[in-house]
Amino acid sequence: MQSKSVYKVPNGKLLKIFLDYNEKNDSINTIRITGDFFAYPEEAIEIIENELKGEVLDKRKLAEKINKIVTKQGIKFIGLDAEGLAEGIVLCKHE
Amino acid sequence: MSERWRLLQTGFNNAFMNMAIDKAILHANSKGFIPPTVRFYGWKPPAISIGYFQSLEEEVDIDACKRFGVDYVRRITGGGAVFHEHELTYSIVIPESHPEIPKNIMDSYGRICGALMKGLKHLGIESEYVPINDIVVKGKKISGNAQTRKMQRVLQHGTILLDVDVDKMFSLLRVPNEKIKDKLIADVKERVTSIKHVLGKTIAFNVVVEAMKKGFEEEFQVELIDGELTLEEKKLAKKFEKEIFSNREWNHRR
Repeated sequence: MQSKSVYKVPNGKLLKIFLDYNEKNDSINTIRITGDFFAYPEEAIEIIENELKGEVLDKRKLAEKINKIVTKQGIKFIGLDAEGLAEGIVLCKHE
Repeated sequence: MSERWRLLQTGFNNAFMNMAIDKAILHANSKGFIPPTVRFYGWKPPAISIGYFQSLEEEVDIDACKRFGVDYVRRITGGGAVFHEHELTYSIVIPESHPEIPKNIMDSYGRICGALMKGLKHLGIESEYVPINDIVVKGKKISGNAQTRKMQRVLQHGTILLDVDVDKMFSLLRVPNEKIKDKLIADVKERVTSIKHVLGKTIAFNVVVEAMKKGFEEEFQVELIDGELTLEEKKLAKKFEKEIFSNREWNHRR
């Protein structure tokens, strides 16, 4: 199932997420994270997108996973944070 | 004696070359060939640049760009889409380790924006830095800025609006909902300004360059010395223009 969300991160930037997910188990097939935020190093966004494949669309779990990647890769976000990103991702889910 | 930095005035180039030159300066500086560099430039033809993370098709009306003869390019910096027409663009490339550059990214935005604010003051404009990356005059944005850090270097570039045509801007940028387009345009007109709007008269590009040059010199206590791109930088810029910034794969990658 292909889906998209537009989410203004509180005190941050506008996030637009393009998601393809498995409706049967709510897991991520592919994800593209776009928007006018900043992330250092920039290329890290592709690492996040790859590592989120297979993850379940659960806000808390996604935020934990993203925080782990951020710590491991030494990523700095500006205008975005793990919780905001997780929120944007679960907003793609069709009820 | 104050430190000497290089000043580049590269005039008007197309979008691909403009972004290629900034990247070439970054590479050259990282190899230690050149001093910290402040560059002033313009765009011909006018162009839209989008942030590194933005989706091109989501943000830009490509057909409209073709109709208006407007180029589009993806930057190596994050941030939002910008329509570059009546503006002065600057870039600064400097080692992250330079004592004048705060280690903290937000603080360094503030510091570099400080130079632009001093420049605006020379034109008789009082402005204010609004984190993350804007400079505003009486609450309206006059400058947007974007920074990347690569190869232990800081590259920040940004715009100072000389004039602004919000209607044209919105015919080139996509809006999420056509029905609210008029309201969006009205909102942006309320939130964006330019040197011409603030002062009620047109100020020439070169006059703004001189003011900004003074702003950088004062903020960083340096002397900006007129210079040129090195041969190595010119070669790199041509390579980056061809292989990256004018390349469909790069511009459409998101």
